[in-house]
Amino acid sequence: MEKRIPRILMGKPGLCGHDRGIMLVVMALRDAGMEVIYSGRHNSPEQLVKVAIQEDVDVLGVSVLSGAHLSMCGRVATLLREQGAEDIVLLAGGFIPPEDIPKLKALNVREVFTEGAKLDDIVAFVRRVSEERHQRVHGMAAS
Amino acid sequence: MLREDLTIAEAAWREGHASEFAEATAKPVTCEDGLPLKPLYTPLDVGSDYLEEIGFPGDFPYTRGNDATGYRKKLWTISPYAGFGSPRETNELFRKLIDHGALPPYMALDLPTQLGLDPDDPMAAGEVGLSGTSIASLRDWETVFDGISLEQTFAGTVVNAPAVVILAMHVVCAQKQGADLTKVRGNIQNDILKEFTARGNFIFPVEPSIRLLVDSVEYCAKHLPSYWPVNVTGGHFAEAGANRVHELAFAFSDAFTYIERIMARGVPVDAFAKNMFFLMKTNHFDLFEEVAKFRVMRKVWARRLRDRYGARDPESLKCKILGASGGSQLTRERPELNIARTTLACLASALGGVQLVSLRTMDEVFGIPSHEAEMISIGTQHVVAYETGVPDVTDPLGGSYYVESLTREYESRVLAEIERIEAEGGMIRAVETGSVRRAIAQDAYQAQVALEHGEKVKVGVNKFRIEEDERPRRPYILHPEEEGRRVAEVQALRRERDSTAAAAALDEIRRVARLPEGSDTNLMYPIIEAVRSYATVGEICKALKDVFGEYDERGRV
Repeated sequence: MEKRIPRILMGKPGLCGHDRGIMLVVMALRDAGMEVIYSGRHNSPEQLVKVAIQEDVDVLGVSVLSGAHLSMCGRVATLLREQGAEDIVLLAGGFIPPEDIPKLKALNVREVFTEGAKLDDIVAFVRRVSEERHQRVHGMAAS
Repeated sequence: MLREDLTIAEAAWREGHASEFAEATAKPVTCEDGLPLKPLYTPLDVGSDYLEEIGFPGDFPYTRGNDATGYRKKLWTISPYAGFGSPRETNELFRKLIDHGALPPYMALDLPTQLGLDPDDPMAAGEVGLSGTSIASLRDWETVFDGISLEQTFAGTVVNAPAVVILAMHVVCAQKQGADLTKVRGNIQNDILKEFTARGNFIFPVEPSIRLLVDSVEYCAKHLPSYWPVNVTGGHFAEAGANRVHELAFAFSDAFTYIERIMARGVPVDAFAKNMFFLMKTNHFDLFEEVAKFRVMRKVWARRLRDRYGARDPESLKCKILGASGGSQLTRERPELNIARTTLACLASALGGVQLVSLRTMDEVFGIPSHEAEMISIGTQHVVAYETGVPDVTDPLGGSYYVESLTREYESRVLAEIERIEAEGGMIRAVETGSVRRAIAQDAYQAQVALEHGEKVKVGVNKFRIEEDERPRRPYILHPEEEGRRVAEVQALRRERDSTAAAAALDEIRRVARLPEGSDTNLMYPIIEAVRSYATVGEICKALKDVFGEYDERGRV
């Protein structure tokens, strides 16, 4: 079976303009050979979910440093579920207090990467969950 | 001693310690920018023309400081950054800070305000009052400064894209207080170019954004001569990851772009340049490089202002700097060590001769600071100012072979980078092609890789880790009902005000915005009238968007 190149959408929901972290992750994923779409800043959750579905991405990575991570991730996760796209793996990064990480996971955020996270670890994680997701959704057709 | 004799002596000394040098230089040591560092600096590393290259403080080119007697004349200003939640809470905090003798409080605004959105805008949902004070109309500004005299207070605000609206609020509020406008002091950040390239709080496309900036500076030159309408914020490049050379070159390129546009409007350089100042990052790492950075800034600014722009007023030639430590240099691991880091950052600023210092609090890595941490941060500055003796002698590191050598090196690197940007079509073009964004991202990537490979040490993060208790630290938590309250307040305002007057004022903004820019079509005047009619930040920005459109950054990263 052919290995598909992971397809990733990275974006910033809401109004937060700090994108040092997300740009680092975008560069690291591209360096690792993945197909990464960076949607830039000031996206509504609706826009992000729409692009994620249109582009058939394996992973949607969102970054929030303004403190609005719970409401933003909650809205993205709800929209993914409502539109039958729960299979897209939702990851979050940014300025997130440790005690909010379990709350984000309860909202169906698969993993949370804060400022201490290493790029190599993020790349490995994204690769693994992308392959898993692709197997799950497209596995039968591809084999 | 002759230079040749010294060269021979240095070679002999090096030869005599050859094995030590072989060991110490086996692996190249560089500072953050990749600038190679020698193990020792000597008179051979510095220039021989003291008067031309360095000079005396208070005199051109101001390398050693803006004032002949440095901090003996006036200590730097302690400048905390504060403000959260509602205008009322912010007013209480400001009064408390003023009682502690801490002036000026720099006001943080929430993201909806900084992006020109009212609290009830759908895009504002979840962000109202979260990262700063929510300001929707003049009514909120009047609440924030209730009982605080605008004639006696320096009111600094970090606002960029809608800066003209906040400036207009300040003008109307001061007028209502009966203040003498020529004495009103304060600052809006108003450095829009770095929002496109670093911080991300942009609204309008580049050209109309510059028009608004020129309008505000022209207005201040005419009516608010004590107000500082532009704070060029190189620190935001550094926080986004730019190395020191890029931080300086991009900040200067933005500043020079503004100066050229303002002069093209017909405002004489000496009518506004003295009220421009810089906010630069002050790092605890690369301590001596930071000191050199501030010295280089004064030199580059003075030469350019005199030689390129014909400035004659010595106040225009003095580069005024706010040294600000940044959140990205602090750590959640062992957060108490952040006090040590900011102490050293403050020292770097003091040794560099800056005019204002703003330190982050130890708990800012967890959220909006607690009052206790804010007081520790102010106390940290008091310790550096009153216990170290650093302010007693001007430019105490001047003459250090190392610092003088760094000053020369950074000056030539920064000037080369400024020239490169100019040769490629200038800063506005560099914003639009995305080249500045890419340079910053590359710098950030290199720094991250160096950190992850252990080439750079962060205590508690990649070295000297200790197991810590995981007790949650949430310095300040916004009341969950605050957003709803703010939505209700702005909706009540729209019902209570004279909406016909507000609508007419907004129409006037649209009419003037459609006309070609110039002194006769300065948008400050209609914006001031709209603010006076209690039109909201969102409505005023919407009127401007109707004419100018919005900036779209896609395709530029």
